[in-house]
Amino acid sequence: MSEIGKIRFRIPKNIKRGQIIPVKVLIRHPMETGFRKDKATGETIPAYYINRVEIYYSGELITLFDWTRAISANPLITFYLRADKKAPLRIVWKDNKGGVYEKSVMINPQ
Amino acid sequence: MERREFLKLCLAVWGATLLCEPFVETEAAEDDEARLKRVLKEKFGGREIRPSSKINLSVPIIAENGAVVPVKVSADMPMKVSLYVKKIYIFVDGNMNPYVGSVELSPKNGRAEVAMRIKMRKTSPVRAVIEMSDGSLYTTMKEVKVTRGGCGG
Repeated sequence: MSEIGKIRFRIPKNIKRGQIIPVKVLIRHPMETGFRKDKATGETIPAYYINRVEIYYSGELITLFDWTRAISANPLITFYLRADKKAPLRIVWKDNKGGVYEKSVMINPQ
Repeated sequence: MERREFLKLCLAVWGATLLCEPFVETEAAEDDEARLKRVLKEKFGGREIRPSSKINLSVPIIAENGAVVPVKVSADMPMKVSLYVKKIYIFVDGNMNPYVGSVELSPKNGRAEVAMRIKMRKTSPVRAVIEMSDGSLYTTMKEVKVTRGGCGG
């Protein structure tokens, strides 16, 4: 479970200034609903899921995901961004156990 | 290398979801329709939600694994400061909590399109509701047949 929190960005390689680009983000997380039972012990696996994902571009909150436990394990999200300046794109996600993780990638349009 | 790792991770994700057990319903005091109605009222009050052909909801017709159902929502609507798609909501009628999640957008996105993967307990309609910055609400719906239920919701 040490992999939890790993974030992987996918953005296009050559970005033109002002271009609207797709941003894909893959997060490692079990997204446990709290409804499943451990097969070996028969005990319920506690709920553990990301409930909020914040996307900042140049320090400004531009996109906000509000999630429930009905988002699949290892969430993969796609959204769009108007790349109009060289600035960091930062993702911050939070889970129901108080975990907070973040990662940034530089958007560098030519 | 980056690409290979990405593919590897995707494969791992797929493998992990096979271990997912179907969720067993324990009580059904409220039927799907009543539950959805209640949740929509909680989210939007009594505001009118108009069906719109400008929303494109892309879902599989059949989802073999209810634990991973890809959903893409896009809207052929403005993304200008004066008027833009402010929020995209996703609902699944057949889940214990029909509200799956929402995405708040801004004109900085440039385009009203998001994709994510959701869990579905059983065959059910999937709904997208779009809230514009002026407060108007639009919706569209598609049925997804679920072969094996995804643990929860």
